[in-house]
Amino acid sequence: MHRHPPVSDTAPAAVVVEDLHKRFGELEVLKGVSLTARVGDVITMIGSSGSGKSTLLRCINMLEIPDEGRVTIGGETIGLKKIRNGRSTVPADARQVERIRTRLGMVFQSFNLWTHMTILENVIEAPVHVLGVPKAEAIDRARMLLDKVGILAKADSYPVQLSGGQQQRAAIARALAMQPKVMLFDEPTSALDPELVGEVLRVIRQLADEGNTMILVTHEMGFAREVASKVVFLHQGRIEEEGSPDKVLTNPDSDRVRQFLARHLSGAA
Amino acid sequence: MDWELMWDSLPRLLGALPLTLTLVFASLLFGAGVAFATALLRLSGNRVAETLTAGYVFVFRGTPLLVQIFLIYYGLGQFESVRDSVLWPMLREPMWCAILALTLNTGAYTSEILRGAILSVPVGQVEAARACGMSRVLAFRRIVLPMAIRQMLPAYGNEMILMVKASSLASTITMLEITGVSRKIISQTYAVFEIFILAGAIYLLLNFLAARLIKHTEWRLTPYLRTRA
Repeated sequence: MHRHPPVSDTAPAAVVVEDLHKRFGELEVLKGVSLTARVGDVITMIGSSGSGKSTLLRCINMLEIPDEGRVTIGGETIGLKKIRNGRSTVPADARQVERIRTRLGMVFQSFNLWTHMTILENVIEAPVHVLGVPKAEAIDRARMLLDKVGILAKADSYPVQLSGGQQQRAAIARALAMQPKVMLFDEPTSALDPELVGEVLRVIRQLADEGNTMILVTHEMGFAREVASKVVFLHQGRIEEEGSPDKVLTNPDSDRVRQFLARHLSGAA
Repeated sequence: MDWELMWDSLPRLLGALPLTLTLVFASLLFGAGVAFATALLRLSGNRVAETLTAGYVFVFRGTPLLVQIFLIYYGLGQFESVRDSVLWPMLREPMWCAILALTLNTGAYTSEILRGAILSVPVGQVEAARACGMSRVLAFRRIVLPMAIRQMLPAYGNEMILMVKASSLASTITMLEITGVSRKIISQTYAVFEIFILAGAIYLLLNFLAARLIKHTEWRLTPYLRTRA
């Protein structure tokens, strides 16, 4: 069976999360999570719904602002400051967050392609308007990426004219167009019909094989095992267990992981 | 039915068309500016700005346009400070008073249409923009506003039609636009039915064109909806 090669402990850190806390009102969703993704790592985060895995992913690019803790991307720590007498936290420098986000490609569960633009326009939008790439160059690159994810023929279609699987592949191309250092996937196949899951997973697997650094939240256990260099299991806002996919998914130390896998593998297989 | 009178009056009524169109276009144009600023201030998160703009919308949506026109045309001149101000040369003209009243009225309604449209843009669309490094302003300009404008077009078409009709109220402050000219002709001929039928037909034609324009704009801006029946 296909396996991701282990990543050396000396590889430089791409994403470092330290002691992250996040509260939504009374509910504490993250209770002190620390995680390091090294260059070349493919980390899959698993856990029951409500375990905090999506929130953790969204804290990495500050779509959610953590209440406490630090996030460091490529050696640069995102500055945060307290406002309203310490009751909420905001980025200290919006520009810094925007700059760091250009290095993080995000793929959403619900694709979130911009509905009023064609697929090609979606892909060139941020390179042209955020990075200032010349339009002709951006179009060339976009066509190459759309070809890579297998939907070049749909370049001039609008998102509603595509199937869910095609939309998600377009969204992946849109994220890749920024030439990100790290790709973040938030349950990329959860909104898809079962027969469309495979085409999206194939694209993600190809990206993993090319050595891209990726963090993905998924419910596809078999896929997690194949592509991951490291699997992280979250439970009630804490990391319950992390390690190589073979360790965590075959022979976990934690009973909770065991129970989770028993539920998911029996149903999925 | 005096067909001959109708036919003879037509040139005079059509002569009033430019004034009607000026009132409508000027107030729609200025009103769009007012609406844009108002909608942004109402969504700004600044308490003072939100309260002031909400108050403006409340007052101008909640009172009759006719009352607003009278207050601006007859009312403002009572105040010495208004008469002494640099704006007086404009505010004493019925034309500008009519445009001001229509502008503030349509501005209030349109700001609500725009605000609703902005709020209806799905969060995920904005998150996708922010996630690839767009600033708030850029995401607003490139994603939120284009989507909001498409969303608001049908409701705004309604507002345009209402404005064409509302411009007739300018006749109450001496403006000789289509309704004003109609009343003048009627006072000379007593042919109430014939002349108002004619005036009504002109408004109907204007609104037919306005509806076509808005439909066409909608069609142009939403190519992605065309292939689906």
